Amino acid sequence: MLIEIGHFSLVLALIFSVLLMVLPSIGLYQNKSSLAQLAKPLVWAQGFWIAIAFIVLMNAFLTNDFSVKYVADNSNTQLPLLFKASAVWGAHEGSLLLWVFVLSIWTISVSIFSKRIPSDLLNQILIILGAVSFGFLLFLLFTSNPFERLLIPPLEGRELNPLLQDFGLAVHPPMLYMGYVGLAVPFAFVLAALIRGQLDSTWLRWTRPWALISWAFLTVGITLGSWWAYYELGWGGWWFWDPVENASFMPWLVATALVHSLSVSEKRGAFRQWTVLLAIGGFSLSLLGTFLVRSGVLTSVHAFATDPTRGLFILLFLFIVIGGSLVLFTWRSHLLQKSNQFALLSRETGLLINNILLITAMFTVLLGTLYPLILDTLNLGKISVGAPYFNAVFVPIMLPGVLALAIFPFVRWKKDSVSRLTSLLRFNWIGIALLTILARVVITDNIYVLIAIGLFIWVAFHVIILLTKRIRTKSKFSFAFIGMIIAHLGIAVFVLGATVTTQLGIEKDIKMNVGESQNIAGYDFIFNGVSPHMKDNYSGFIGDISVYSGGNKIAQLNPEKRYYQSGMPMTEASIDPSLVRDLYVALGEGLEGGAWSVRIYYKPLVRWIWLGGLMIALGAFFAAIDRRYFVRAKS
Amino acid sequence: MILSWQFILMIVLSSLFLAWFLYRPVKSSLSDDDSNIAINKQRQAELEIDFNQGHIESAQYQEAESEIISTLASELKSSPAKNTTIEPFKWLILIALSIGILSLLVYSQLAPKIIPNTDAALTEPMTMSESIEQLEDYLIENPNDFQALKMLGLAQVGIGKIDDSIESFESAFELNPNDIDLLLQYASAIAAKQDGMFYGKSKTLIETALSLDPQSIQVLYFAGIVSAHQSDLDEAIGYWQKALYLMPENHPDRNIIEEALNTVLNLQVK
Repeated sequence: MLIEIGHFSLVLALIFSVLLMVLPSIGLYQNKSSLAQLAKPLVWAQGFWIAIAFIVLMNAFLTNDFSVKYVADNSNTQLPLLFKASAVWGAHEGSLLLWVFVLSIWTISVSIFSKRIPSDLLNQILIILGAVSFGFLLFLLFTSNPFERLLIPPLEGRELNPLLQDFGLAVHPPMLYMGYVGLAVPFAFVLAALIRGQLDSTWLRWTRPWALISWAFLTVGITLGSWWAYYELGWGGWWFWDPVENASFMPWLVATALVHSLSVSEKRGAFRQWTVLLAIGGFSLSLLGTFLVRSGVLTSVHAFATDPTRGLFILLFLFIVIGGSLVLFTWRSHLLQKSNQFALLSRETGLLINNILLITAMFTVLLGTLYPLILDTLNLGKISVGAPYFNAVFVPIMLPGVLALAIFPFVRWKKDSVSRLTSLLRFNWIGIALLTILARVVITDNIYVLIAIGLFIWVAFHVIILLTKRIRTKSKFSFAFIGMIIAHLGIAVFVLGATVTTQLGIEKDIKMNVGESQNIAGYDFIFNGVSPHMKDNYSGFIGDISVYSGGNKIAQLNPEKRYYQSGMPMTEASIDPSLVRDLYVALGEGLEGGAWSVRIYYKPLVRWIWLGGLMIALGAFFAAIDRRYFVRAKS
Repeated sequence: MILSWQFILMIVLSSLFLAWFLYRPVKSSLSDDDSNIAINKQRQAELEIDFNQGHIESAQYQEAESEIISTLASELKSSPAKNTTIEPFKWLILIALSIGILSLLVYSQLAPKIIPNTDAALTEPMTMSESIEQLEDYLIENPNDFQALKMLGLAQVGIGKIDDSIESFESAFELNPNDIDLLLQYASAIAAKQDGMFYGKSKTLIETALSLDPQSIQVLYFAGIVSAHQSDLDEAIGYWQKALYLMPENHPDRNIIEEALNTVLNLQVK
């Protein structure tokens, strides 16, 4: 009966989302405050029933209730407890329930942490979020019910995809969804302001912290995904330009543009039309990602479903969201036309450049992702757009962006002069040039690495100058300022890590006999053999490789080759991590005479990639808790 | 449709929760004007700090200040509309009825027609014939339910109705020809009609299963049997050795394959 209660809870949540759209709307437009103020309790009740449904499904996994088809398809008694719990979102139906659950968490958070927002605006925002929730609950209940029962329950369930039997599944999807779904909040703020025709300072002020938090979660989610792919897939890559990765990266690029555009709109009242479009675009792209993953148009480890009905539903929802929002935007665009003026050299211009670059980059990724799909749909042949296209197009677009992010925090709002800037920074620019030349002599002559080092020094130097300047003028260090510094440094750290590991990394795919040694980047890898290995949910082989540097043993690596119950072979890499370099070993196939094929990687500064990502997210969290977002208005 | 006391309780609780908020007095709320004034005042204060610390010059300060004032002036509205009171009881009845009727209606559309009652199943297990009857009844309403057709075929094999089971499996096969489990069961049923020999359609079905999932232990086991029946013992050994290699040590079916493998190895020796 518990399963039916979970199912009925979802139905109740759907009904509450309908009530949330209807009752407060009547209250707002007929000035019936008693009805308008029902928005919050309706949100809480809806969230409560979604949480009950989620807990019921989790319980079904933990107690091996194979009478539930979704549990029987994705779990079995041998699965460790953590993987049973994370298997809840390991396939389409459960992950959609997680999506709805996360949306309810965001909606409840908005209802609780928005005491400083005028109640009419807040109620309107909750109504919009209720409408989004209605769409997804409808989708969940009518096309993707996770509580479907089997007529005769099997004694044992099937297997969770072995790739997903990892700690990464427990953290990557929830974080990514927090970001993805979080973009619904700025979208709801914008739509509420458009519907009310009240595109004022209040709307601009309160959209930004929510945009920042969802952007931070999206950054953490993508970073965790990259880290997971690196150690799980067994070939040492950290970004593959997989269409589904791109589907999360495109909203990230737009959200990055949005948080910067919002800072101009909030502080200077400019770019308001642009900000509205970005908020709509960010959420629309997150819906596009959902469509790509769940419609069956893509084949990927991320692709959950191959059901065209589901794809059609999301496509329809996407059209309603984009179409409806753009109609609203056109209707209210006259209210957005007022903009304060700014000079060519001003901080506003810098942020405009940032936005143009980010959106251009987003469109190049969008083109590379959708073009093969469009050709395939039109039966014009199959093509594959991979890393060479993305690297060739994306990197040159973003390069000036990194240069600009160091300079423009020095530029004044509204108007500045070149002479003031050059007199302030010229000696530092000379210092940066000298340090880059020194790097050429001492570190490497690889031009890409030199550019990355130059950019890193460029950003780091400017940050130091900015800090010194603030200390000298005894200015206050606001959280927004600290956040900006950390996030910009994060970009520099990421660029350096990504470039160095790509350019200077070493990769060897070799046959190793027992006792054989291989020297890679000054490290001796000695292969001591392979032994059988077994756990509850898999069996396989575990390798034994000792690593020596300068005659001293520095690491013992144990890569694995696993065979899960479905027979699917999996490579489990073994890594000796450090901030300076990773030593990464993966087992290939067993060969004649006890030899094995082994992949050995030397990955300099690879950890900087994820460190940079986490710094960006941390910076966003800092900016979101700035003092100005806690200002209390008096009624 | 299932109408249980738990569902009624959930509907009542939901309605009571909303009732509390309907009867609660309306709280005085923050207006747009209050909020815009507070925000623009804060912007002005930030501007002054920037000016005092030398981040902007006097002319820019004056311009920015007048921008803030004009922005605020354009944002201020006339006085808010007067609140209209409602009759909470009328609305409560409407809301409670909406929740009750709508939720039960939607659920009746979504809920499965047959739900296994696990408690009852534990105390009074159904006989195979009863299961078949229930499945047949169910299939009258849902003739295209793949799982039910497969289950019916299995149950019919269980009571020896091989011809019927082949018919059920064939119907299921038409709905989904790529289900490994079905392919194996269907092939076994046909083989049962052929004195346990896998040839003709049963052999083709196993080959299809092998092409769909060459790593499946069950498929490898059956592929071994097919090879053995064709006297290709080396191929049979290969399949079974692969199956054993892929199997965990504690797999309950391990001894079946080991036994089959030993039999074939002995045959080879002889």
